Amino acid sequence: MNNEISITEAPAEGRAIDLASHAVLLVVVCAIALVGNWVATKVTPLDALPGMACLYVMTMVGLVIAKYMPFYLPSVAWISLVAIIATIPGVPGAAFVSEAVSKINFLVMATPALAYAGLALTQQEFTIARKSGWKIVVVAICVMFGTYIGSVVIADLTLRITG
Amino acid sequence: MATSRGGAIGPAIVLHLAVLAIVLVSEYIGLIRVPIGIAAVILLPILYAFALGIIFNPNVLKVTGKVLNHKATKLAGTMITIAIMPFIARFGTTVGPQIKEIIAAGPALILQEIGNLGTIVVAFPVAVFLLRMGREAVGASYSIDREPNLALIADKYGLNSPEGAGAMGVYATGTLIGTFIFAIMPPLIHGLGIFDVRALAMSCGVGSGSMLAACTGGLAAVVPDQKDLILALAAASNILTYATGLYAGLFVALPLTEWLYRTFAPADRASTLQH
Repeated sequence: MNNEISITEAPAEGRAIDLASHAVLLVVVCAIALVGNWVATKVTPLDALPGMACLYVMTMVGLVIAKYMPFYLPSVAWISLVAIIATIPGVPGAAFVSEAVSKINFLVMATPALAYAGLALTQQEFTIARKSGWKIVVVAICVMFGTYIGSVVIADLTLRITG
Repeated sequence: MATSRGGAIGPAIVLHLAVLAIVLVSEYIGLIRVPIGIAAVILLPILYAFALGIIFNPNVLKVTGKVLNHKATKLAGTMITIAIMPFIARFGTTVGPQIKEIIAAGPALILQEIGNLGTIVVAFPVAVFLLRMGREAVGASYSIDREPNLALIADKYGLNSPEGAGAMGVYATGTLIGTFIFAIMPPLIHGLGIFDVRALAMSCGVGSGSMLAACTGGLAAVVPDQKDLILALAAASNILTYATGLYAGLFVALPLTEWLYRTFAPADRASTLQH
């Protein structure tokens, strides 16, 4: 522990993904999100349940692919791909999935993650932030601004050229 | 792999109930729009959720340490990654129905990934010339320093090196204020009236789930009639960043930053953050 700086605990990727434990913890997350969605959008958990079930299944399918693919891509990349394919018009069931998930506000799905993130911050992360000082904070803001604005400028120019 | 078995059921239940309570309060408050001239600052439930999480974090509020013990906060770390997965799935479902528009915007989507190197253009000169930083500047400014970028720095230099300290500092700062920055910045830039909202949307994919959520949430709040397109473009670009980010860092961003440092930074500059 003296030499190793451990950042927030990240679950295993690839072959090491524990599907059973993910399956259980995802139920907890989806249940919390159903209640959050109820408060945010007034859609009852019962009405939003089919959509949440779709998100649950797509996530699990993505995790299974990530576990058994011979090359590495982050699980979230596979989950995204599964969700995209499942909603492309013409794909069997796409209309049902799109209709079902439309009952769930997209930002509501991120709220539990941020609550966990706030609770998970370790003493070490606070210490690093404090020790790094104001210079790093200035650089970090420049990094975030630069990463974003660089993409905006290139995207905007390309869109002007290609229409 | 953390599970809720093995005598950790109690702390796990406390943790999930705390998160449920935080989510309820955050969603109840809802989105708040603070107009500033022609633009607006958008405050989102995800920001309150993160702030409330920090307030009740046992490292901040000692009292909660009695119920939220070490096991609970360790599980919370695992839960971040798991909780972001259904969000990413929900995000992906916005792409399918808009697949024609996404393909039409294909060239811009692919080229804007190069724009993530903008961090080097903006942050590197500030770090080296303005703040007179040492080799920390390399780790700090070469990328947005989320987990994959941090792993690359750890692999090449070790996290105890100056480069590692720089990367860790930006990582920790980004973790603490990144959601906030990405919630307020895009609506303000949109307020300038210079950039196509599609460009602002597709740049939201920087490889962090919470920054993506904040960025698109803010943009969708100021341009509600384009919400579906904003979500779809952001989701598509985020997937591209997931797929390319690590490789862009390894083969382009880090070598480029290294070269810039060797070429332009004074050779005798010592490490600035170690003391």
